[in-house]
Amino acid sequence: MRIKCLMNCCFRLPTNSMALPATRSSFLWGIPFTLNFNNNNNKRFYSHSQSRSYISNSNSSSAPRVGFLGIGIMGSPMAQNLLKAGVDLTVWNRTKSKCEPLISLGAKYMSSPEEVAASCDLTFAMLADPHSAVDVACGNHGAANGMAPGKGYVDVSTVDVDTSKLISQHIKATGALFLEAPVSGSKKPAEDGQLIFLTAGDRNLYETVAPLLDIMGKSKFYLGDVGNGAAMKLVVNMIMGSMMASFSEGLLLSQKVGLDPKVLVEVVSQGAISAPMYSMKGPSMIQSVYPTAFPLKHQQKDLRLALGLAESVSQATPIAAAANELYKVAKSHGLSDEDFSAVIEALKSKFQNS
Amino acid sequence: MEVGFLGLGIMGKAMSMNLLRHGFKVTVWNRTLSKCDELVEHGASIGETPAAVIKKCKYTIAMLSDPPAALSVVFDKNGVLDQIGNGKGYVDMSTVDADTSLKISEAIKAKGGSFLEAPVSGSKKPAEDGQLVILAAGDKALYDEILPAFDVLGKKSFHLGEVGNGAKMKLVVNMIMGSMMNAFSEGLTLAGRSGLDPSTLLDVLDLGAMANPMFKMKGPSMLKNNYSPAFPLKHQQKDMRLALALGDENAVPMPVAAAANEAFKKARSMGLGDLDFSAVHETLKKPDH
Repeated sequence: MRIKCLMNCCFRLPTNSMALPATRSSFLWGIPFTLNFNNNNNKRFYSHSQSRSYISNSNSSSAPRVGFLGIGIMGSPMAQNLLKAGVDLTVWNRTKSKCEPLISLGAKYMSSPEEVAASCDLTFAMLADPHSAVDVACGNHGAANGMAPGKGYVDVSTVDVDTSKLISQHIKATGALFLEAPVSGSKKPAEDGQLIFLTAGDRNLYETVAPLLDIMGKSKFYLGDVGNGAAMKLVVNMIMGSMMASFSEGLLLSQKVGLDPKVLVEVVSQGAISAPMYSMKGPSMIQSVYPTAFPLKHQQKDLRLALGLAESVSQATPIAAAANELYKVAKSHGLSDEDFSAVIEALKSKFQNS
Repeated sequence: MEVGFLGLGIMGKAMSMNLLRHGFKVTVWNRTLSKCDELVEHGASIGETPAAVIKKCKYTIAMLSDPPAALSVVFDKNGVLDQIGNGKGYVDMSTVDADTSLKISEAIKAKGGSFLEAPVSGSKKPAEDGQLVILAAGDKALYDEILPAFDVLGKKSFHLGEVGNGAKMKLVVNMIMGSMMNAFSEGLTLAGRSGLDPSTLLDVLDLGAMANPMFKMKGPSMLKNNYSPAFPLKHQQKDMRLALALGDENAVPMPVAAAANEAFKKARSMGLGDLDFSAVHETLKKPDH
């Protein structure tokens, strides 16, 4: 029985309201681990006064068993941060070898999403695209097969609204709770535990996993019904893809008209359009190197999904559409696995066969 | 130090006030002379024509709105050329294309004067607060001499080499800015149309790698349909057009900037040219809004 979230507006629960200490603690909140559906939705699951009185202990009934499906660029550091914080972690990845570093840090391994979900109370999923997310959740030996009342599934993949709703339906049909929770932030923020979670779905599950989100991230938002988190993520990444494309045009233009692009980066950093993304990526773009923090193919996927969202509400997005074309060109040049800043290559003339 | 100041619009007024407040002697001129009154109340003198200002001052700064105005002030009757000569310096801080700047530079130098282009990055508030970023190019000696004024007007100055480089750098920066504003507007609109709270989008953006002062300053006012001009849309569109022309001359593909320029043109056709450039946000709204 799902508690319907009555609020229309978006919640932002600042991390310091959860009062995790600033240094990464190896202790966990004592989470009363029964997801009690019948609770009055005004009552929280644990009060803030419990804040300092818990230990991740051998009494495993009070610390959740957490699963993590998808150990890629993002999943690996996210899972590592959970492990280092003392979380009881079980992992799965399509390619098992990617799990080795985590296993050597103490993670358990199961050979299918179904087994992970069955053996855990809370299961996170971080997959590359809608297709993988659906497959892992709903496919053969998928997580849904292992879900049950009392369990929760948190999909932190970036997908479109319909995909998220589909996964949600499958999960909730088992009696379990569902939360979509795509993140803003790439490899380094994942490593540093500085991600921003854009969640939506079951509020109860959000409350329960909040301390885990706080380990992996610096901020979290609860945005209401399933679909809102997915939409917010797509909007954010639509802006980001357009910003990177326009920055690329500026860098290239400056070079072609005889300016020093390093000076352009410095000038930009002094003014109203100064963004960390430009200062971070500018220097490597000038060198034509694109170390992968956020694969170009995923940026293009996000733009495509954002354009789909815009179409569904009949909104013109000419800048995003133009930017998307550049990412497509970059993909056709074989740059899919480079950092998304490689989109600048799409503007350069290429005389060799590609 | 004494300087002349030609052009008292949104930027020129704030800049000359700043110079006055920092103890500079300033002689001002503006096409509409009444705009000089407030400066005079704060201690400025008036020059009846650009030539009169040049005659009086060793250094003259100009801040005009576009290439035609910048050219007119120099080449017209009673313009700068009438009185410019040896020992006098002309510093044009207008945003123009490189060819216009070169043309002015050559004419000034032909008369024995020295020339510096110095367009700025920053709009009304940075101008008031002396926080402009100054992109100078041209006569290095003049740059060194005028630096005390630059230090009052701005937080950072660059000397970028030969005349044309300052103009080009400014156009590239404003091209990126115009595209970013459009990307931002598309995102805010899509958030609202998808049932999200656009001000939450602002919060999320402010936390990450995309955070920038422009989004922070303009986002809230855009959501309230408040477009009081810090940087008029017609000037932003002028800058995009000039940047596209620069790309054109050098065969540089700029599809995103081209799309952004179209949006600004549309905004102008809707009569929004004198509003802040963030008013391009209105172009995405449904007609009944």
